[in-house]
Amino acid sequence: MKFKILTLLAGALLMSATSTAVMAAGKTIAVSWKTFQEERWKTDEAAIKAVVEAAGDTFISTDAQGSAQKQAADIESLISQKPDVILVVAFDSDAILPSIQKISDAGIKSIAYDVQFEDPNALYITFDNVGVGRIMAQEMLKVKPEGRYAFIKGDKGDPNATFLFQGQMEVLKGAMDSGKVTNVCETFTDGWKPDNAQKNMEQCLTSTNNGVDAVLSENDGMASGVVAALDAQGLAGTVPVTGQDGDLAAINRVALGTQLVSIWKNSIDLGTVAAKAALALADGADPTTIEGVAKFSGGKNGVEMNAILLAPTPITKDNIQVAIDAGHITKEQACAGVAAGTVPACN
Amino acid sequence: MGWGMAEQSNAGGPASSNEGLFRRLLRAAEIDTRMLGMLAALLLIWVGFDVMSAILRPGGGGLFGGSFLTSRNLWILLVQTSVIAVMTTGMVLVIVLRQIDLSVGSMLSVVAVATGVLQVFELGPTLGVGHPAIWIIAVIFAIALGAAIGMFNGVLIAYGQIPSFIVTLGGLIAFSGAAFLIASGVTVAPMDKTFKLIGGNGPLASIGPMWSWVLAAVACVGIGIATLSGRRRRLKFSFAPKPVWADVLTVVVGCAAVLGTTAVVNSYLWPARVAERFAVENNIPIPAGVENRAGLAICTAGDKVVTCLDGLSFQTGYPIPVLIMLAVGLVMTFVARRTRFGRYIFATGGNPEAAELAGVNTKRLTVMVFTLMGALVGISAIIASARLDAATTALGTLNELYVIAAAVIGGTSLAGGIGTIYGAIVGALLMQSLQSGMALLNVDSAYTNIVVGIVLVLAVFVDQAYRRRVK
Repeated sequence: MKFKILTLLAGALLMSATSTAVMAAGKTIAVSWKTFQEERWKTDEAAIKAVVEAAGDTFISTDAQGSAQKQAADIESLISQKPDVILVVAFDSDAILPSIQKISDAGIKSIAYDVQFEDPNALYITFDNVGVGRIMAQEMLKVKPEGRYAFIKGDKGDPNATFLFQGQMEVLKGAMDSGKVTNVCETFTDGWKPDNAQKNMEQCLTSTNNGVDAVLSENDGMASGVVAALDAQGLAGTVPVTGQDGDLAAINRVALGTQLVSIWKNSIDLGTVAAKAALALADGADPTTIEGVAKFSGGKNGVEMNAILLAPTPITKDNIQVAIDAGHITKEQACAGVAAGTVPACN
Repeated sequence: MGWGMAEQSNAGGPASSNEGLFRRLLRAAEIDTRMLGMLAALLLIWVGFDVMSAILRPGGGGLFGGSFLTSRNLWILLVQTSVIAVMTTGMVLVIVLRQIDLSVGSMLSVVAVATGVLQVFELGPTLGVGHPAIWIIAVIFAIALGAAIGMFNGVLIAYGQIPSFIVTLGGLIAFSGAAFLIASGVTVAPMDKTFKLIGGNGPLASIGPMWSWVLAAVACVGIGIATLSGRRRRLKFSFAPKPVWADVLTVVVGCAAVLGTTAVVNSYLWPARVAERFAVENNIPIPAGVENRAGLAICTAGDKVVTCLDGLSFQTGYPIPVLIMLAVGLVMTFVARRTRFGRYIFATGGNPEAAELAGVNTKRLTVMVFTLMGALVGISAIIASARLDAATTALGTLNELYVIAAAVIGGTSLAGGIGTIYGAIVGALLMQSLQSGMALLNVDSAYTNIVVGIVLVLAVFVDQAYRRRVK
């Protein structure tokens, strides 16, 4: 009940805010977020908003608060405001499909932002998730061409966890077939939670009697749990750990040497590219003519879609400067506690 | 183990004539047979995991050749249990009072993140990183914040007359949002060096073998004194005392459990790398057989690191969060059994109308119980963030379910009025054993969830059947 009232209130507020904006002419770009509970979406929104508003157009958005039902209602309320393009970060990539159909029926273009839903009419814009897994494995192979690998995977319900693992396996296949690399532990981590990752890593170390040479953790949050578990055995810094997201604490760990790499998907890049594509679609451009668009059919059901797959940046000890230069992290944050002369960016 | 100290049963009452000898003995000794059953189940699970891990990956050095019944795994298991166990002692009282608190997980997130922000972003820069006052301020702040949030819940429930299910469901949703806003979603790390020790992550965060034995001795004497004073109290009020053999048995078994646990935690030796680093930092000569590269002592014997560090083995002893868990368990048992506050809770849970008519201020009682629950969440938040060495919004998510499940597995009745603190702690230990054991066997977490769910329902089923028989 409480929720419904809140939603209605929020809807009413949005309506009054946009009705004035629509009168000011120009295009309207809408976003349906799945949840604002994660730091990164704020960065995405700021980037999209900046591009849209710089072009003199209007930006509106809703937050589904991690509920597929609320997201369906959100999209209906967005449709009723007649935007030109709706970007959707799907909470549930299957449950969202009827809502996407409604968007198409209303003559509005849709973009699958970061999370794929398989609708052939939508444009899919994301970082290359299989690519992230590949880069993790490549970076790890550089320092541990052979050894006992542990795989700390994300939540089993998230397709990205499997995409990442697929990417890692593509790269490691040769080394595993020849026996140079062995898989000693492999676990999903409920909710991508760092404390679950810590427990899983502790059990992995116990069961192998610390016989682990490398850990492929699928994100930075879990990497913090993995590093804590390694630290308890005095192994932090000697066993390399991967991660992704460019979490501030993770970049600091990279500088300290307890984490090998954080694959950074610069949300500003993703937001900017998506906003530009949205404006182009609003102008009536054919999606295939937009820069960087290629066919993609690597989803669950193999539906062919137009997609833009951006390449992420691996942040290692040697190129932390990149994240500092992008304003993602300050030098003080990145270099806290780092011994002088060990990391180029910290000197 | 330690929480057997205040053991007293609710299975007293007149003995029926057709019981077997064993049952009569148990009844005479006033042993909680339900508890005995749970401990037996726990033991079975432990042995089962050790045997299975021995089959899967032999040579773990456990009691049956696996890696579950090793001092290392049991030590980590106790640490892993502490966060949930501390909260579950409070949840017992909440449920006994016929209320529920669904907000503990989100509350833990808020307290952990707020405390993290306080020590990393506020106290660190103003007092200087590593200042000795930081951890004290952080601990007090966390407990106070938890208590304040708990009190807020309690006031809404008692004086606002909103069902606790609704108030705390609202809290579950709202607090996680608040946790996000406090640090705008970033992971706050690293924690203060001293604060970190409370998490028990690694051997440095334990009290060492000497103090562990001292503590064990104190606990043994405590069990003796408690048994003796219980006997005196009964005589004073002309109650029939327990048979002497039962009292002696209580002391002997209790003491043996304490000493056994102590021996286990002490026999977990420092991991070689940690010992080595400690030796290097403190200029302790490392025995021969160690290579020396670039001025640093590096042990390259691979699996044989322990022999290579022979003469340099340090015993670990009780980890700090486990001591906190045991202390909380003792204090809460005392509160539940020996204080007026505790008796009011059980009286009100058993029959709210009667308690109110008898003059119990149930509203104030509700506020106090939820405040206590909040303070315990504060303690758990400290342990959880110290252990991870980071505070994130994800910390604590879904913990409410595990806390309630542990209390229920431990014999707390959702109908109110019935529940024990030690039962709930064993419930938490049992659940964590299942999770850790299956992780050790490299079982997919999906199966672990299924097993934990089944065990929860099964525990309540067995409990109900047992209670019906006792009646």
